[in-house]
Formats: sequence, structure tokens, C-alpha cells
Amino acid sequence: MSIPKLEFPPFHLPAEAEALREEVRAFLKETLPAVKSEDRFPSWNTRSPEFSRAMGKKGWIGITWPKKYGGSERSFLERYVITEELLGNGAPAGAHWVADRQSGPLLLRFGNEEQRQAILPRITAGECYFSIGMSEPDSGSDLASVRTRAEPVPGGFRVNGTKVWTSGAHKNHYCIALVRTSGQHGDRHKGLSQLLVDLKTPGVTIRPIINLAGRHDWNEVTFSDAFIPESCLIGDEGDGWLQVTSELAFERSGPERFMQNFYILRELVRVLGRQPATRAAAILGRLVARLWTLRQMSVAVAGMMQGGKSPAIEAALVKDLGTIYQQDLPEIARTIAESDATTEEDMADFLDVAQYATMMAPSYTIQGGTTQVLRGIVARGLGLR
Amino acid sequence: MDRETRDMLLETADRFFTERCGRDVVNGVEKGIWPADLWKEIEEMGLPLIAVPEDKGGVDGTFADMLALLRLAGSHAVPVPLAETALANLLIAAAGGEPKPGPATLALGTLSLSGGRVSGKVERVPFASVADRFVVVAGNTLAVVARDNVEIDDTPTHAGEPYGTVSFDNAASELSGASAVSAERAVELAAVMRAMQMAGAADKVLATAVEYCKQRVQFGRPISTFQAIQQMLAELASYVAATIASAEAAARDADEGGLGDGGSFSIAAAKSQASEFAQRIAAIAHQSMGAMGFTHEHILHHYTRRLWVWRRDFGSETFWGAKIGAAYAKAGPDALWVSLSGSKYAA
Repeated sequence: MSIPKLEFPPFHLPAEAEALREEVRAFLKETLPAVKSEDRFPSWNTRSPEFSRAMGKKGWIGITWPKKYGGSERSFLERYVITEELLGNGAPAGAHWVADRQSGPLLLRFGNEEQRQAILPRITAGECYFSIGMSEPDSGSDLASVRTRAEPVPGGFRVNGTKVWTSGAHKNHYCIALVRTSGQHGDRHKGLSQLLVDLKTPGVTIRPIINLAGRHDWNEVTFSDAFIPESCLIGDEGDGWLQVTSELAFERSGPERFMQNFYILRELVRVLGRQPATRAAAILGRLVARLWTLRQMSVAVAGMMQGGKSPAIEAALVKDLGTIYQQDLPEIARTIAESDATTEEDMADFLDVAQYATMMAPSYTIQGGTTQVLRGIVARGLGLR
Repeated sequence: MDRETRDMLLETADRFFTERCGRDVVNGVEKGIWPADLWKEIEEMGLPLIAVPEDKGGVDGTFADMLALLRLAGSHAVPVPLAETALANLLIAAAGGEPKPGPATLALGTLSLSGGRVSGKVERVPFASVADRFVVVAGNTLAVVARDNVEIDDTPTHAGEPYGTVSFDNAASELSGASAVSAERAVELAAVMRAMQMAGAADKVLATAVEYCKQRVQFGRPISTFQAIQQMLAELASYVAATIASAEAAARDADEGGLGDGGSFSIAAAKSQASEFAQRIAAIAHQSMGAMGFTHEHILHHYTRRLWVWRRDFGSETFWGAKIGAAYAKAGPDALWVSLSGSKYAA
């Protein structure tokens, strides 16, 4: 029988990463008490420019990037540790999150020197924030069907179309938009490009899309004859698809795929008290064991990537399992808290958080590649398609 | 042993198990037929002595080498107590003894041991009715009791393996000495051993289901081309991946941290994880293979039934979960992340 072997070679984060972890913990211990608790549990869904600037001062945004752009040229594994400490401690890292995780690396890899110099040092300072402009009303999982059109005109492009689910566009500085620069709608992967869009550009309109939890994270971004200068084309015209797919692969298996609602586990520990009944302890312990496993898988994938491999299937498996875990977590926590919470008051506090977690749960298995798309990737890896 | 030697040994063992551990042998054990030739060959290859030092007649491998071999054995449903004997021999050697040939097993439970005599009863002892000797740990003493000195009540598992309840009534031991591990630790070592066997079995279940679905034709095409099946098998792969990853991480931590207490938390988490996903793995694999996989004729049940049995061996997800949960609750919410990221019971 010959199917590709699934392997997750156990990996130790190196000593320098563990040393950095202690520094990050000390910083968070000092910084976080000033943050309101309702801003802490959503972690990377909470924006705090003040916190982002403090992170920037430490040199912990864009930490892997070249020094000439404000980076620290440290390893991807050190970045991994920062990410998990932010999530594990409920830090309000939302403002710089996308710029650090996706947009900056994209500019570094495909952007021109002018773009890099103009943008990257501001990102690493914690002062410049990004949105992702991929999805459209008629393009979700099928991203190649985008309709937003950038028509070449003297000196740049005239852009028309609509982007949706654009997180933070009402507060961020830039959006990287996937647009059609040539060819026809049916051409699929050909003729797509990415543009660096200043969200203050005339002709760009931003309208809130409130999510089911009542939060204004998302926006609809409409382009009406918006002029984008040629200098804002990222990479070569027509390379948009290649760039987008590599962008989506950036850390599909990172800690944000299983620790997004870590606070609910923390809340469960609090509400069960110091001596829970055996049944409650067993359920808590099983949840801890599953999270520990996800972390081992994620660290193993990080180790493989550091070693120059591209474990695409393993990474997709981590996101699949991790996001499902995040959906199971509030449900299991709620049922066990209902029977085993120590006091009514504790339970009331728990429910405040649990209700938010319940409402956010559907998003986990949709954003950044749905469960079904991920399983399609895994199925291909298993040789089934 | 170095990486190359281990890979070579695993390759040889893989070929050997493929040739000599076929369906009929596994089914035979279920009917009470002891595969004496198979055991003899396994001993000739030195496999039960894999983690015994050279000066005690062993192969001089590490605990990690032993676990890698047992993961492989799990993927072949090897129907003899190779795992139990390998761990028993390791413990005997670590207590200063020299392991003898023949199948052995572990009777881990609440026993009293004084003056080399053992009393008490242990249920669900794997391969009890075919073992020549039983290793017990009580307090800080290890004893080896020959089968003639115990009473065995056969309680075959639903995987058809010859488990049994073993009663010691002031039983004389052929060896007793200071144990290198506590009784509690012996259970942990057995738990990581089972978790690795479960990883092997889970891997085989996935390979079997994938292969079947690629060959099975319905509605004029292989069922693997249906999205419904593809999605199921991808989900199955995620549970198998979790089982493999957690077992391997625990094996690494146990080995690096030393026989005495290495990877204590990781082992608990891995055995909880493997036990918890055993049912999901079995359910999807059976669903994907329809009636064919539900027959005794097919080999799938060699693995799914073992997963169901093994999830209870040496602590289920409830046992290990409760242990982790109690420790984490006691340490409180502020310790949660520090403990978890450090793979520890308490920060």
C-alpha cells in the first residue's frame, strides 16, 4: 500500500526562541494589566495601536525581516513563540496582526524596493496596519472568480468592483487587493494581479458589515473609478494568483488556528475551581490533551518548514483539526460549567465570555480556507483526487 | 542505536511482519492458537530485547528505539506480547536482572510485595494466558513471578487477545530487586507504549480505507472520486495525524527525560488523545468501507478492534484526562498556558 505517510516529527523550539519567550512573558506581564478584560479575550480580534507600538518598540513585529526594513532577522521559530505568547496571554494584537503575518511578508517577497522602503519600517514600528482584499460578493472559496477590475490607464489603473469581509478596513491604512488587470472573467487564474491600495484613495468607499456577534470587524470596500498608481502594483502584472496562493500558505498551521479562543479554556479552569469532581476534571483534561496535541503538530510543522520542507498536507490537517477544536471548546466548556461551576457568580462571568465564544465559533472553520476546502487539499494529498 | 541502524532494523522488521503476521496468524490467536514459530523468530531477531543493554544480552537500543519498533508492530497487529515483553525485559534489566527468553507481560495494579512474595489481583493483564512470567512493581520493588505461581482467569478482549485476571497468593518470585521506576511510572511507560501501538494501528486503518476506496467501484467509478468519500477520508486523516503526532511527541519526551520520570505529562496527554480519537477513526473507516469492512474476512477489524481495546489499556482518556484536569484545576487559570506550553502538569 502506498499512500503518503503522515509524519509529524517531534520538534524542540530552539533555545533562542525559548529565551525570547521569557522576554515576551515579562513584557506582557507588565503591559496587559492595563488592558480591559473584555479586550483581552478576543486577542487578535482586539485592536490596540498603543499595544502594537509597544510591540514595535520591542522589535517584535516583522521580527524575521531584514534589518534595513526595521526587522531583526531572527528566525521564523522566534516569531512562532511571539504569536503563541500573544494568544496564550490574551494580548490585544489585532491592529498589526495582518500586516505582520501576511501583508509584510508578501511585500518582502514580491513587492518592489520603493514599496518595501515606504511600508515595511512603518509596519515594524507598529504604526501601519493592513486589510486583506481577496473575497468578493461572488467570490469566496472560489477566489479565482474575482470580478474587481483594474483597467490600465496612463500612470496606473482605474479600479472598479467590490471587496467584502474586509476586516479592519475602516481603521487600517492599506489593503492588498486581488484584481483582474487583463483578460476576461472566465480566464480564471490568468490576468490577476495584486494592488497595494491606500484606503484613503478617492473613489474607495468603506461601509461596515456587522457580524452576528454585533461587532464591526468586517467592511465592504467599493472601488468606483478609483485611480491606483502603477507604483502600487505588487510584483508583475498577471502574477496575482501565484502570490495569493503563497500568501494563503503562510502559516496555515500557526497557533492562531487552535488558540483563537484559548480564553474559554482558561475561563473553564477558573469556573471549575481548584478541586473539581472527577468527571469535570476528566473533561477538562481531555480538552487540555487535545490542545497540547495540536501544539505538538503545529510545532512539528514549523520545524519541518524551518528545515526547508513544505508540509502542505500536514499544515492543512492542523488547521482542520484546530478550527474544529475551537468550535468544540465553547460547547464542551458550557455543558460542564453548567453542572460543575463553583458559584453562580463565577458562572455568570463565564457565560459572558462563553456566549461571545459561541457566536464567534462559526467563523473559525470558514476564514482562511473552509473545512471543506482544506479537506479537498488533504484528499488530493492522499491521492484521492 | 543510531538513526541508520534503527531504520535498518525497522525495515527488516516491517518485511518480517508483512510475511509472517498475516491474517491467518492473527485470526489463529483469536481462536486460541499460540503462534510458537512466530514468537521464536521474533526472539531470534532479538526484538524483545531491543531496549536491554548489551551486557545483559540485549540489543542495546533506547526506549525510543523500542517505541518506534512497537509503533511498527501496531501497524501489523502483531498478535503476540512483543510490546509487553520488550517493556518487561527493559524493566527487569533496569532492576539489575537478566531477562530470560519467553513471552512475558506486565501485571500493573495494586499489589503487595514483601520478602519477594507477591499478593493481590490484577485485571485485564494483556496476554496473561500465554505469558511465561509476570513483571510486577509494588512500592519501589520489582518482582518477576513465573506463571506456575499465579492463577489466571481468562478474559479475552473484544479484539480476541488473550487477556486475563491474574491472582497472586503469596506468590514466590524468581527475581526481586530495587525497581528503576515506581509503580505509577510503570503504568506511564506502558501507556506510551500502547499509544505508539495505537499510532501504528491508526496509520494502517487510514491506509486500508484509502486503498479500498480507490479500488471499490460503484455507480461506474471508484468511490474515492466522490467528494463525500474524499471529505470523510480527509477527516479520518486528521484524527490519525493527531494520534501519530501526540504519541511521537510523548515518546520523544519520555526518552529524553529519562526512564524515571521523563515526559510524564506528555504521556498522559498522548494516551488521552489516542484513546479519545480511537472511536472516530474506527467509525469513519468502517463507514467508508461499508459491509466489506464489517466482515471477519477483511483485516480492518484487526486494527479497529485493537484500537477499541487499547484505548482502555493502561489508562483511558477518562483516567488520564482526570489526572491532567485535577492538576490543571489545582494550579489555577494563571498557570494554564505556562504548564501547557511547557508540557508539564504544573508550571
